Amino acid sequence: MSTICSVTEEKALEINKFDFTYASADEPSLKQVTMPIAKNSITALIGPSGCGKSTLLRSINRMHDLYPGNKYEGEIMYNGRNILDEKEDLISLRVNIGMIFQKPTAFPMSIYDNVAYGLRLQGMRNKTELGDRVEKALKDAAIWKEVRDRLKHDANGLSGGQQQRLCIARAIAVEPEILLFDEPTSALDPISTQGIEELVTELKDKVSIVIVTHNMQQAARVSDYTGFMYLGELIELGKTEELFVTPKERLTEEYITGKFG
Amino acid sequence: MTHIIDKIFANATRLIAIIVLLITAWIFTVLFQESLLSMQTFGLDFVTESKWAPNLEKFGAFAAIMGSVISTFLAMVLAVPIAIGVAIFLSEIAHAKLKAPVGVSIELLAAIPSVIYGMWGLFYFVPIIRDIFGGIGIGMLTAGIVLAIMILPFMAAVTRDAMNTTPDILKESAYALGGTKWDVIKDIVIPYSKAGIIGALILALGRAIGETMAVTFVMGNVHKVSFDLTQPATSIPVTLANEFTEADTKLYFSSLFELALILLVISFTIISIAKFYFLRRTRRA
Ligand SMILES: Nc1ncnc2c1ncn2[C@@H]1O[C@H](COP(=O)(O)OP(=O)(O)O)[C@@H](O)[C@H]1O
Ligand SMILES: [Mg+2]
Repeated sequence: MSTICSVTEEKALEINKFDFTYASADEPSLKQVTMPIAKNSITALIGPSGCGKSTLLRSINRMHDLYPGNKYEGEIMYNGRNILDEKEDLISLRVNIGMIFQKPTAFPMSIYDNVAYGLRLQGMRNKTELGDRVEKALKDAAIWKEVRDRLKHDANGLSGGQQQRLCIARAIAVEPEILLFDEPTSALDPISTQGIEELVTELKDKVSIVIVTHNMQQAARVSDYTGFMYLGELIELGKTEELFVTPKERLTEEYITGKFG
Repeated sequence: MTHIIDKIFANATRLIAIIVLLITAWIFTVLFQESLLSMQTFGLDFVTESKWAPNLEKFGAFAAIMGSVISTFLAMVLAVPIAIGVAIFLSEIAHAKLKAPVGVSIELLAAIPSVIYGMWGLFYFVPIIRDIFGGIGIGMLTAGIVLAIMILPFMAAVTRDAMNTTPDILKESAYALGGTKWDVIKDIVIPYSKAGIIGALILALGRAIGETMAVTFVMGNVHKVSFDLTQPATSIPVTLANEFTEADTKLYFSSLFELALILLVISFTIISIAKFYFLRRTRRA
C-alpha cells in the first residue's frame, strides 16, 4: 500500500507506474513508483540504504542509459512528454535536468573551466559571455568570493565543501529546470553540509529540486515534500511537515521513529 | 611466536631487496670495468664516430646509437596513436561483452616472445616491405614496424589500465552536463589519466629501445647512418647480439661492453622517468 499526497503546485515531473530493472538483476529495483514532483520546490527522497533512491533519481536524467541492458517501464512526464521514450534526446535532457553526486566531482581542469564546461559543450565560445555566466553561477553557488582570485587554479586544490559548491555552480551554469542531488553532503563535514543545505534552499526559486538523503533531519530541514521509499517502492509522499509529524503509513512511521534503518 | 616469524619475514624481504640492489650495482660495475679500455682508447669519439671497423680496431657507436633512436622513434610514431585508439576503444567504447575477450587477446599478444615477432618479421614482413618500398626489405623501416607491432599490445594494455582508473562518477558528471561519449573521452578520461598514459608510453619506449630479438633478424647489422629507411642499419642490441661471439680482440670486446653500458644507462633513464610519472599518478589517486 502507498499513500501519495496530491501536489497542488504546477508539476516539474510526473512519474507514473514506473518500473526499473538493472541489466544484471532478475527483479525490478523500482516497482510501480508513482510520484508527482512540484515545480520550484524541494522534494526529498528518504529510505533505508538500497531501497532504490539513487536508482529513481538516476532514471530522471536517464543516467542508467550509460550502461547497457537496463530497462525502464512506465512514464516519467516532463514538459508534456515521456522522457523514457526511445526518441528522447538524452543530451538536451541532461542539460535541462542537472545532477550533483555523492562525492564532489571536480574535473581535472581549472575552476573556471569546470564551470564553463557545460556552456562550452553547448557551443558557447564568446569570452565575455562565458565569463559573465561563470561569475553568475559561482555567485549563485555562494563560492565566488572564495575563488575569484584563483579561477585559473586546478579545481582539485579546493576543499571538499568548496568542490561540491563548484559542482553546483557547474550544474546551474547551464540554467537547468531541474536539479537532482544524490546525497550531496554525505562526504562533507557538518559546516560544509550546512552551507550546501542553505544553498539548496536558495536555489529553489530558480529550479525544481529532488534530493536523496539518508539523513532524515536534512530532509526535514530543507524539503517541501518528502517521499519515503522502501524495497523499491514509494511508500508515502507527503508534505514534509506532515510526513514527519503525522505519517499515514505504518512503515513510514516505523522508519522515522528509528524502528529500522 | 608470530612475532619471531614476522621478524624473520621482514629480515628476509630486506635481504632480498639488498641482493637485488647488489646485483644491479654488480652489473653496472662489470659493464663499467669491461668498458674502461674502450673509453680510454676512444674517449668521446666512441659516441660521435660511426666508423665501426673491427679489422682496423676502430670502433664508433654513433650508427648503433642512432639506429636505436631512429628505430624506436619510428616504432613509437606508429604504435602510439594505434595503442591509444585501442585503449580508448577498450576502456570507453567497446560493449562490456567485447571488453574482456579483446582485452585478454591483447594481453596474450603482449606475451608472445619477441623472437617470434622477429622470425615472423623476417619471413613474412621483409618480402612485403621489399615489394612496397624496394630495397632488400631488411632495414630500419622493417625494424621500426616490427618493433611497433611488438610493443603495441603492451602499450595498449597498460594505457587501457591507466584510462580505467578514471572514476565512473567523474565521467557520469560530464555526461550529466550533456556531454557526449567523445566529450567525456577527450575532456575527462584522457586528462585524468594523462600521467598514467605517459608512464605507459614511456615503459613501452623502454621495451622498444632494449629490444633485441624482434629486430636482430630484420635490421641488417650495418654500421652506417642513412636517412633512407629502407637501407639495412643496426642498433645497440642488434650489434651486441650479432657481434659478441665474434669479438676476438680485447678492444673489440671492450667496445661492445661500452655499447651495453650506454644501452643500460638509456634504459635506466627511461624507466626512471616512467616511474616518476607512475608515482605522481598514484600519489594523486
Ligand atoms: N548497477 C547496479 N546493478 C544491479 N543492481 C543495482 C545496481 N545499482 C544498485 N542496484 C541495486 O538496486 C537497489 C537499489 O539501489 P540504490 O538505488 O543504489 O539504493 P539507495 O540509493 O536507496 O541506497 C539495491 O538493491 C541495489 O543493490
Ligand atoms: Mg544511493
